[in-house]
Amino acid sequence: MTVTRWPRTLVACVAAATATTLGLAACSTSSSGGSVNSTTGAFGSVPAASGTPQAGTITWAESPGSAPTWILPIIPGADFTVYSTNSFNYELWRPLYWTQSGVSPTINQALSLAYLPTYSDGDKTVTVRLKTSYKWSDGQPITSKDALFFLDELRAAVGESAANFGSYTPGVGIPDQVVSASTPNATTLVLTLNKAVNPTWFTENELQLVQPMPAHAWAKASASGPILDFTNPANAKKIYDFLAKESGSTGTYATNPLWQVVDGPYRLTAFNNTTGAYTMVPNPSYGGPTSKIVPTLQAIPFTSDTAEFNAVLAHSIDIGYMPQTDVPQLARVKAAGYHVFGYPDWGFTIVNYNFADKTGDFNNIIGQLYVRQALAHLEDEEGYVKAFFHGAGGLAYGPVPAAPVSPYSPANALTNPYPFSISAAASLLKSHGWNVVPGGTSTCAKPGTGPGECGSGIPAGTKLAFNVLYINDPAIVGEQLTNWASDAKKVGITIALQSGTFDHVVAVANDPASPKTIDQWAMSSWGGFTNPAYPTTFGIFNTGGSSNGGFYTDPEADKLINASVTGSNPNAVKAEAAYLTAQQPSLFQPNPDFIVVWKDDVSGQPAAIEAMTQYYLNTELMYLTK
Amino acid sequence: MRAYLIRRAATAIVVLFGVSVFIFLMLHVIYPSPAIDVLGPHANRLSIAEWNAQHGFDEPWVVQYLRYIDQLLHGNLGYSYKLNQSVASLFQERWLRSAYLSGVTLFLSVVIAIPVGIYQAVRRNTFGDAVVTTGAFVTYAMPDFFLYLIAIQLFAITIPIFSYEGPQTTSMVSIIFDWRAMTLPIVCLTLLNLAGYSRYMRSAAIDTVAQDYIKAARAKGLPERLVLLRHLLRNAFLPMITLIGLSIPDLLAGNLIAEAVFNYPGLGLLFYDSLGTADYPVLLAYTLVGAVLVVVGNFAADIALTVADPRIRLV
Repeated sequence: MTVTRWPRTLVACVAAATATTLGLAACSTSSSGGSVNSTTGAFGSVPAASGTPQAGTITWAESPGSAPTWILPIIPGADFTVYSTNSFNYELWRPLYWTQSGVSPTINQALSLAYLPTYSDGDKTVTVRLKTSYKWSDGQPITSKDALFFLDELRAAVGESAANFGSYTPGVGIPDQVVSASTPNATTLVLTLNKAVNPTWFTENELQLVQPMPAHAWAKASASGPILDFTNPANAKKIYDFLAKESGSTGTYATNPLWQVVDGPYRLTAFNNTTGAYTMVPNPSYGGPTSKIVPTLQAIPFTSDTAEFNAVLAHSIDIGYMPQTDVPQLARVKAAGYHVFGYPDWGFTIVNYNFADKTGDFNNIIGQLYVRQALAHLEDEEGYVKAFFHGAGGLAYGPVPAAPVSPYSPANALTNPYPFSISAAASLLKSHGWNVVPGGTSTCAKPGTGPGECGSGIPAGTKLAFNVLYINDPAIVGEQLTNWASDAKKVGITIALQSGTFDHVVAVANDPASPKTIDQWAMSSWGGFTNPAYPTTFGIFNTGGSSNGGFYTDPEADKLINASVTGSNPNAVKAEAAYLTAQQPSLFQPNPDFIVVWKDDVSGQPAAIEAMTQYYLNTELMYLTK
Repeated sequence: MRAYLIRRAATAIVVLFGVSVFIFLMLHVIYPSPAIDVLGPHANRLSIAEWNAQHGFDEPWVVQYLRYIDQLLHGNLGYSYKLNQSVASLFQERWLRSAYLSGVTLFLSVVIAIPVGIYQAVRRNTFGDAVVTTGAFVTYAMPDFFLYLIAIQLFAITIPIFSYEGPQTTSMVSIIFDWRAMTLPIVCLTLLNLAGYSRYMRSAAIDTVAQDYIKAARAKGLPERLVLLRHLLRNAFLPMITLIGLSIPDLLAGNLIAEAVFNYPGLGLLFYDSLGTADYPVLLAYTLVGAVLVVVGNFAADIALTVADPRIRLV
């Protein structure tokens, strides 16, 4: 599970302001301009593949701040982003399992290096069988030793510092749970784990992190040194130190012979470490599916969303994106000769509740399920999508959003269990002993723990008044919260809005390791999380989870989350998601779409184009038509 | 003069020391734990602790500061842990781009502002003066990004004469000769600067025109061209010298918004990005170099003033 940080928009207001002032596009055209469907989350559509493939170069817009700064597949936390992995590293080195099919977060077997694994010994032994169709670009076969090489180097990396692998969770998953690994033959990797795991979780969330690395070319401690036995931990450390050092030399990415041995669809031929621009040419040895004529990929960096959008309007980039603030200018983008498709991220955006904030007995208030339900009833998700996202967003009522739909989407992920209703919120409060004062501040009139009473730890006269600390950029965060607070006031809930920079909000309201500011915030909003394919909230809503910034604790949630990670039921995560959606450990908000635009002369598999909304780049499945 | 230089140098050292302490403290207040910014809010506790230890952030800030100063005195500006490059190399790659954009803009603004200001002073309250004043006010009041976007819309998208973005090459020669890509950023920035400079120049020239020595020069029959060039220009230009001195740091700071809108990665943008990622070494180095340029700019302005006006003596 990775954190979703709202994109930083340096001049977010610029395009909107300009559009308004110049009369370039009326905001009112937004909804009718695109095929907006707030239920599915889709914005626009992807046409079927068409046209005759032609050779050429596809230019692709790199978002501001997403220039690659690391090339080794073991990516440190400081360099780990969806861009560094999905748009750069995966082009060169493929993972064992590809967990994206169009907009659906499911394993794409055609794009995976290995067949689905088998589990034995009470789910403590995993057997992975590699496909033989994939080869290294120097002609060598990809073997199970290459997968083992990754695991041994990963162990060496986190042994030096836990920060050396962005996806590392101490004691959980790879490499810590792997007590031994063997390669009985060239295509089989057998892992023995320290305890039983949920097979689906381990395959979709852990094994998908494994990117086989060419041991025959990389297992050395210096550029001209001999190939070492990487299974020896001392050698593994030397090798990691060497590879990490080379990976830190960003200026040599395109020239270092190490990085020319690839198994992905592309090979790097140019890299500018000042701007982040790079060029990749097709790897003729690639063993996966491709279009008839794979285009060269040229990544064009942009310093701001505004600059990128100007490039789109100038019709100078083949594949780009439309910033959320520019959605009202949809007609201009289409007129410039682009297709448009947007879809929400597979994840969730939240207003985090602080279950440890004792200010005004907030911890006891928010500990009451009916209060959280009332707060959820006060959120008009559909209204927010229409008004603030200009129709380009998807609904989300829990950790599994309504869109994209996954095999693990529970029923209450698709139908809002707490639909927008001010009267329903008022009824919940009244029926639990609150004196509801619309426009004022409601107070607890019936303290106690019995039916119809406010609940444990809430004395008479307690006020429903608390603060929410939120990031001031992008504007849609504040817009949603302002609207929410306004509706809350109608049932006497006073929410004080306090905005700050991302750094400030995170420092104050998301530091479970050092809760010095525990009583300074009741609620906070700084973004959310991108789900892994198997969408467990392990680490987020389990007691003591490393990302449990709100100190939520619930034995039943812990049990369900634990079952998702260690149980044998492949659908355990569905029960976990259903429970958390009902329990509302935080306020779940709608997710904005990531809107991809591409020129009319770019075509290919629709799923590949759709997957770009999930930050996956599969230009090897696309082609140019002129 | 020597005593003055020594005094200024000593003051500069004190100022730079104060700036370094202040910035170091401020960064620790703003980013109490840069590890969370660098590794992301999801980072586990072990990663945060080990990253902080790896980069010395687990030590008291005084120790961190002294270590930083020590490496600074050894010519090491630090290493960016977000961009995996030394700060010196990051600056090296970008400063010429920023300096070129800002330098050309500054030069053009001054060169144009001088005759415009003098013209306005000499033709004060005429139609021409009113037109230029109106233009200056409109440009001065306009948010810079708005001017950039209008220019791009008109001259790069609607009528595609120029490029919508700055040059993407790292070769300075290519950048200098890429007029299609550099015209819009240079013209826009020049217009924005010109609006302010021309007002200063006009004001100074009006004061100078009223001086007795101008009247005397005219009375003795000196041609108007010589009056303006010999007597008016030199004296009216004095406030501009101070203004130009204060603009020297812009050569480093670049023009953040212009760089962002015109897709022109320079130092200003590097600083902005580093703020978002709590990249301490870049932020510290940038701020310190900025402080040095402020001191140097002011000093250069003082020297230039004495050259332009011998009545001013540095004591």
